[in-house]
Amino acid sequence: MTRYGMLIDTTKCVGCYACRTACQRQNNLEPDEDFIRYERAETGTFPKVAVETVPMQCMHCDDAPCASVCPTGAAHVGAGGIVAVDQGRCIGCLYCMSACPYQVRVRNAKTGAVDKCRFCVVHTEKGGASCTCVDACPTHARIFGDLDNPDSEVSRAIVEKHAKPIAGDLTRAKVYYVR
Amino acid sequence: MTYEPIWGTIIAWYLFLAGLGGGAFVTAVFIRFKHPGCTRLMRIGRIIAPAVVVIGLCLLMFDAAAGFAHPLRFALLLTNFGSVMTWGVVFLAVFVVVALIVLVLDLLKKAVPEWLDIVGMVMGLCVAVYTGCLLGVCQGFPLWNTALLPILFLVSAVSTGMAAVLLAGVFAAPAEFNEVVVLKKFHFWLPVVELVLVAALLFVTSANPSPAGWESVAALLMGNWAVCFWLLFVVMGLVLPTVLECWMLWIASHELETSRTGQMVSALSDAGVLIGGFVLRLMIVSAALPITIVQPWML
Repeated sequence: MTRYGMLIDTTKCVGCYACRTACQRQNNLEPDEDFIRYERAETGTFPKVAVETVPMQCMHCDDAPCASVCPTGAAHVGAGGIVAVDQGRCIGCLYCMSACPYQVRVRNAKTGAVDKCRFCVVHTEKGGASCTCVDACPTHARIFGDLDNPDSEVSRAIVEKHAKPIAGDLTRAKVYYVR
Repeated sequence: MTYEPIWGTIIAWYLFLAGLGGGAFVTAVFIRFKHPGCTRLMRIGRIIAPAVVVIGLCLLMFDAAAGFAHPLRFALLLTNFGSVMTWGVVFLAVFVVVALIVLVLDLLKKAVPEWLDIVGMVMGLCVAVYTGCLLGVCQGFPLWNTALLPILFLVSAVSTGMAAVLLAGVFAAPAEFNEVVVLKKFHFWLPVVELVLVAALLFVTSANPSPAGWESVAALLMGNWAVCFWLLFVVMGLVLPTVLECWMLWIASHELETSRTGQMVSALSDAGVLIGGFVLRLMIVSAALPITIVQPWML
């Protein structure tokens, strides 16, 4: 089985927002429609302090709360464990946005339907496992791949760097963070 | 990053109206069994119940923009029975149909079968509880994610339903209004129970491991929502009705209680309950903060 996942190394992130811009271009999003949002956290104690940028996006949870609350079946866990929104089924009730503990879903102002990170299915379906945000990142802070394959680049990096989901076991997230 | 509430005033209105409608039907059934002679008041409840729920559902469909643009998608609402919203659709559908049949039978002066009234009452209670469960299953919001919320919404729904029927009764059926003493005494206790439930909800929420719990409670008690919470909800919605009804039911003379002045005092108390009921939904929907966005209540 293929379970797509991602690693985001915030120690490499410079906060340039290139991933968000690339994502908006790739997915042809509205100007105010972001699949990636940024949280900033201060770390350390004075005088040794730093500002950490944490890009947040759909965590593609195996036990996706959005899919369990979606009344129409628009939000679902699809092939490769990628959480997707069937735009033709979404009524825009925003229940998934309330149920998502990570607050990473957005409403498309034109259609009224809800959307979010698609793990660039255009790439994965062709066999080339990559995401636009991964390609765009100038510091290689992002790695995408198959979590079920222990030899994949992402699986090895998660073990090496002790990467963890952003909020512990809140959900079974497939995006791992190095912090 | 700042947090914008996902659901707004329209959803607060819907939650309020759905609860009120369910509560109004419960009130009509209560009158049927406890005050069978008060047919006008009963009919008021039977008119309010489907009317406000249908208004609420129209608001809901309007708010669901993608479905509003493609109405056929609403048929898909019955596909995921793991979703509280799907169950809500079932309860609402059965409730509206039953409430409309009961209303038509009443208006045609035909006998309403007892079982039909009871089915409608159970569905009305289900609608009230579901509005709480709808928010309750969202684990990202400490203010919602507690089993107290459905109970609070249930009590508030029955309270606002009874207040709406009694308020309309003061003007449309003043003679019957004086007769429904058992209903009034039952209704008296609901704001008292609500006060206890709200206090419990805030204590439990503020102790949530995530700071979002305390931030939400602080926003209500001393932040942006403080005036709304203390003045409109606690004073007008809970304390005033309790004090006024306590006076009317147990302290005032029978002459004062049944006089026009006494009725107006009760009307004021019922209007307070309705305002409090709406403000409660609005605050619960708007003041809840999610656990993964850090936003202090002072900002």
